[in-house]
Amino acid sequence: MGVISAIGNSVAENHQSLKDAVCGVSKAFDLFPTKYAGLLPFGQVPVSTEDLLQQLQVTAPGVTRTTLLALHALNEALADCGISPEDIKSSETALIGANTVGGMCLTDELYNDANNKTDGSDYLESYDCASVNLYLQKHFKITGVVNTINTACSSSANAIMYGAMLMKNGYAKRAIVGGTDCLAKFTINGFNALHILSTDNCTPFDEGRKGLNLGEGAAFLILEKEEDIKGRKVYAELTGYSNANDAYHPSSLSDEGDGPFLSMQGALNIANLSADKIDFINAHGTGTENNDAVESKAMMRLFDKPPAFASSKGNIGHTLGASGAIEAVYSILSLVHQEVYANLHFKNAIPSTGLTPVLAYKKMPVSHVMSNSFGFGGSCSSLIFSKV
Amino acid sequence: MLYIHKTFSISVQQNLLQANIELINEPVNKKLQAIEPAYEKIPPGILRRMGKSIRMGVGAALPLMSETDPVNGIIMGSANAGMEECVKFLNQIVQYEEGQLTPGNFVQSTGNVIAGQLGLITRNKGYNVTHVHAGLAFENAVLDAIMQLNTNPSNSYLLGGVDEISSFHYNIEALAGTYKKEEVSNKVLYEAGSPGYLVGEGAAMFVVSAEANNFIAKLTAIATIHSTDIELVQAQLKMFLQKNLEAGTAIDLFLSGENGDNRTLPFYTACETLLADDTAIVRYKHMTGDFPTASALGLWYACEFLQQQVPQHMFKKKTSKTSYRNILLYNNFKGLQHSFILVSKAW
Repeated sequence: MGVISAIGNSVAENHQSLKDAVCGVSKAFDLFPTKYAGLLPFGQVPVSTEDLLQQLQVTAPGVTRTTLLALHALNEALADCGISPEDIKSSETALIGANTVGGMCLTDELYNDANNKTDGSDYLESYDCASVNLYLQKHFKITGVVNTINTACSSSANAIMYGAMLMKNGYAKRAIVGGTDCLAKFTINGFNALHILSTDNCTPFDEGRKGLNLGEGAAFLILEKEEDIKGRKVYAELTGYSNANDAYHPSSLSDEGDGPFLSMQGALNIANLSADKIDFINAHGTGTENNDAVESKAMMRLFDKPPAFASSKGNIGHTLGASGAIEAVYSILSLVHQEVYANLHFKNAIPSTGLTPVLAYKKMPVSHVMSNSFGFGGSCSSLIFSKV
Repeated sequence: MLYIHKTFSISVQQNLLQANIELINEPVNKKLQAIEPAYEKIPPGILRRMGKSIRMGVGAALPLMSETDPVNGIIMGSANAGMEECVKFLNQIVQYEEGQLTPGNFVQSTGNVIAGQLGLITRNKGYNVTHVHAGLAFENAVLDAIMQLNTNPSNSYLLGGVDEISSFHYNIEALAGTYKKEEVSNKVLYEAGSPGYLVGEGAAMFVVSAEANNFIAKLTAIATIHSTDIELVQAQLKMFLQKNLEAGTAIDLFLSGENGDNRTLPFYTACETLLADDTAIVRYKHMTGDFPTASALGLWYACEFLQQQVPQHMFKKKTSKTSYRNILLYNNFKGLQHSFILVSKAW
C-alpha cells in the first residue's frame, strides 16, 4: 500500500496521524492563487509541486500535480510490496487508476490552451483523466491491462473493484489499483457554486454539519491472488465489492438512499457475509446535509443496528477521485492494527437517526470493514476488506 | 465473450440500414460533425441542458432501453464526456474571477455524466461505470461488460462509447498536432500521407448479454496493449489470434482503424501482413473520422457487416466473398493504445 494525503506522506505517517486524530484540513493554503485561500479550509498535501518533482526526480515537462501525487503513492506501494520490476512489466500485471480532475488543476494553462490564447503549453497531453495512468504506464513499462475510471467521487473504489474483477476473470494475475486527485480552482469553484463547501472544518454526521472540505491525495494498493503471494506481506483480503446507482439526481442522493443501500448490500452478497459480521464502516461521510443523512438512513435500513462507523473526511477532506483508495488503505489499517479511528469535529447526533460515529481512537476486534464511496451521477460503491 | 442483441449509432453518416450506403457526408471546416437525430425520447427540459456528447450518448442509448425488458446495468466508455462543460465552467471561473457561478456546467462536467443521466432517466439502479482511458475507454467498457456477464450470466447491459468534438478540446488537440493541418476530403483520406487525423465524433450503443438467442454478433475476444513498438503489436496480434480464433475458422474481414495519419499507418500495414490472402480489408474512419472512442463505431460497423453488404468505398482490399462471419477489428489510438476485437456470426 502507498498513500499521500494532508496527514502524511506515507502509510506510516497517515497511520500515526489517524491514531492521533490529526486534522490536516485548515485555512492555511498556498497551492495556487484563489480568492478562497484563507477563507475556506482545505486538506492540502503539505508538499509543494516543485518539491514533489524534485523528490520523484521527474524532469519531463507536462507532468501535473495529480500525476505526481499518484507516482508518490505508487512508488511507496511497489516498494512496500517488494514486487520485482519484471513482474510490474509482465503482461499479467494490470494498472487501474482513477481520478476526476486530471490536469484541470492547471486552470490558467488549460484556459489559455482551450481558448487558443497560446501556441500551446507543456500540458496539452495532460488535461484528461487518462493522462495520469498513461504517464504511469510509460514510467513503469506496464504491458498488462491499463484503465482509467471516472465515476466522480466513487472513482477509485470502482478502480479497486475493476482490478479485482480482472483477476477473477483471468485477465490479470495482479492488479495495481488506486486513485489520485489534487486540489484545483475548478473543483473549489464547482463545489462552492453548489453551496456544499463548509467555511469551517467539516463535521461528518453532526447535526450542525455545514458542508464538505476539499482535500487532495493519492493511494495505491497491490492486489494479488492468494496462490501467488509466495511469502509476501499480506495486509487484508478484498472480500466484497459492489456498485449501484441511486438514479435520483445528478448531484445529490435520494431520501431513501437506494443507491447506498444497494451498493452496501451488494458488497455483503459478494463477500457472502451477513450484515452483522461488519465490525466497522469507513463511511463516505462528507459532512454535507444530504450525504450524511442519506448514508445514515441507508445504514439503518441495512443493519439492524449499524456497526461502529466513522468518516475520515475530517482528517483529510474529501479527496474526490482518490477518496475510495485512500479510505481503502485506512480501512485496511483498522484490520491490521485491530483499531478504529475518530470521526473528527462531531458534537451532536442527527436527531432523525440518533447515530453517533466513533469519537476517539480505540482498540477493538475488527474482522470485516466496509468502505463506502458515493459520487455525482448517483454512483455508489462499497468495498469490504477482511482480516487475514 | 458476449452477445450483441441491439445496436444504435449516431455519427456524421446515416445509419447504413436506412440510407444509400454508397453516399458519404464530407467534413466541414476539417471536422466530421455528427448529424443528430430528433431525440424524441429525451424529455425536452433535460435535453436543453445537455452538451452534445451527453445528447448523443443518451440519445443513442434510449432507443435500445426498453421499459419492459430493462438492462441490469450501464457501462460507458468516453474519453472526454463533460469536457465542453468543464471548460465552459473554467471560462466562467476566469471571466467572473471566481465570483458567483452557476453550477450547471460543473455538474455536467464529470466524466460519468452520460451513464449517470441514463441511470436517472431510465431509473436504472444497477451497475453503472464510466471508463475514460482515452483511446481504450470503450475497450475497457467492453472488457467490463464481459466480466460482469461472466459473473452474472443472466444479466444484460447497455454498453456504449461516445465522444464529441468540443470546441475547446479541438483547440487543445490541434495545438498538440493531433489533427491534419491541411483540408482533406474524406474521400481521399487514406491517400493524404500526412501526419494527423480527421476528427470526428459520435456514439455507438449496444445491448449485450451472455445469451445466444436473437443476437446480431458474438464478440468472442478482446485484447489491449500500450506500446509504441510495431513488432510487439504484431506479436500481440499473432498471440491473440492463436488464442482466440477457433480451429478451422479464418478471419474473412479485417476492419481496420486506419485513419489517414502517416504516423500510425505502419502499425496497420504490419498487422495486415499477418492476414491470409482471402481476408478482405475494410476501413471506416473516412466515414466517422477519428476520436478516442471511434472503435465503438467500428464495432457498430462490424455488426452491420455481419448482416449486410459492405459499401464499395470502404474496401481497401476485396475478396471473392460477399458475406462475412469472422471479423477482426484492430484500432490504434495515437500510436500508443492498441486494441484487437474478434466478432463473429454463427450460423
